[in-house]
Amino acid sequence: MEQRTPTLRNVAWLWFGIAIAVLVVGFRQAIFLTPADAAQGDIGRVFYYHVPIAMLSLLFPYINFAASLAYLFWRNRDPLKALTADALALASAEVAVVYSSICLVTGMIWGRVAWNIWWTWDARLTSMLILWLLYVSYLMLRRFSSTGQSQTLAAVLGIFAAVDVPIVYMSIRWWRTQHPAPVFGGGANSGMDKSMLPAFFWNLAGWALWGVLILLFRFALERRRQLADQEAALQAIEASLEIPQ
Amino acid sequence: MTWHLFFDISTMAHRHLLAAYATVLIVQAGYLGWIAWNWFRTKDRRY
Amino acid sequence: MTYLRHVLDHLRKDLRLEWRSRDSINGMLFFALLVVVIFGLAFDPTSYPTTTRQIAGGILWVALLFASITALNQTWTRELRNQVLEAQRMAPSPPSALFLGKVIANMLFVLAVEAVLAPVFIVFFNLHVLGNVWLLALILPFGTWALVVNGTFFAALGLRARNRELLLPLLLLPISLPALLAMVQATTGVLTAELDLIQINTWIKQLAGYDIIFTTIGILLFETVLNAE
Repeated sequence: MEQRTPTLRNVAWLWFGIAIAVLVVGFRQAIFLTPADAAQGDIGRVFYYHVPIAMLSLLFPYINFAASLAYLFWRNRDPLKALTADALALASAEVAVVYSSICLVTGMIWGRVAWNIWWTWDARLTSMLILWLLYVSYLMLRRFSSTGQSQTLAAVLGIFAAVDVPIVYMSIRWWRTQHPAPVFGGGANSGMDKSMLPAFFWNLAGWALWGVLILLFRFALERRRQLADQEAALQAIEASLEIPQ
Repeated sequence: MTWHLFFDISTMAHRHLLAAYATVLIVQAGYLGWIAWNWFRTKDRRY
Repeated sequence: MTYLRHVLDHLRKDLRLEWRSRDSINGMLFFALLVVVIFGLAFDPTSYPTTTRQIAGGILWVALLFASITALNQTWTRELRNQVLEAQRMAPSPPSALFLGKVIANMLFVLAVEAVLAPVFIVFFNLHVLGNVWLLALILPFGTWALVVNGTFFAALGLRARNRELLLPLLLLPISLPALLAMVQATTGVLTAELDLIQINTWIKQLAGYDIIFTTIGILLFETVLNAE
């Protein structure tokens, strides 16, 4: 987009407003309207935030995967498109870290009350921890590598990480299981009570909208930073050309 | 506000529930705030 | 007093440099966290609390040892750039002030990492400390100083060596073994409450003695190392 139209900005604000509204409804549903869980009591309300955010945290790594692939594909063919892909990769990695951190912390808080332990090394928790570690290491690579290479190296790491995630999940699943069985699509006793579904779906929608919002905002910020860098580089080159040889 | 009456700080369950919700909101708002702060710091080079 | 002023100047310089990029601390923190996770996967800490308490001390110190090695490796590299090392050699301040300043800076970084790591450790291993937790507040700094003082010295030793990054652990680990023994025994003693106060105090005194001896040797010999071309 060459011309900045007010449209994009208006859409962004509108999206923000809708996300906040949905989250507020979700909050109200989760805390005030839904009855407390019969077995766990009020601490079960953590699930209305924990589960949607955990599900969404599995989405952003795949956006990173696609963006990393796109970066490597376009790197030599169309550098400008590659730069855009790279910005998206970085943004989605950061959002993945944010969402999985929240998933881990809320899970731990819930576990403290429900199971009286902060942590256990079972399948779900360990794979989520490893997901978190993978994407934090991605961000560290970005920070520590020298500027010319960091995008390519990060894209490669992003591919490794995304391929690793299902492998980790499967390997650990066969190794140990203590986590509550999957609520959706699990065994015989799974599925949520109907009264809990509204809270769950409102929060899922709310956090999904929010996730897309911060992803695109971070993406736009990164693009802005990239363009600022390009400008600075251009000015440096022009300045050096003006010096009489 | 209704929530004042609802969250019973003396129960462990409610304290942890509040902590969990607060964590989520603080982290998400914090991240958005960080992006926004950097957004205003980085100059817009398109014009 | 001027000696102390020199040490503080060097310390401030290192802290400022590190604060600007925070590379070292972030790297150390993440590395230590990874070691904790790997050990968590290797043994199942939450299912075997007694065994976990017995090995947690060792794991903590191994994690810190490897994490500090990663940071110590590059503690002198910033002096190599722009011929800063030559400038340091020619400076009128005593070389040991440079050494002490760096040791204190590294000590602060590793302590910062420990401060974050300890709660994470307790969470991931579900540790319930059976002994007196405040003793740990004594053991951790003494132990850290032992690792850091030798680590900084040997990192400088390997400055011109060919395989510098490999050399540091090879030199550091053997020399640190007495200190590691004391640290691990003391920490495990506190965690499992198997050692009584007198025994733990003996280990702490040994650690303190080790610290004093090696700090003195480091201060005395640093000038030789710095000028060892």
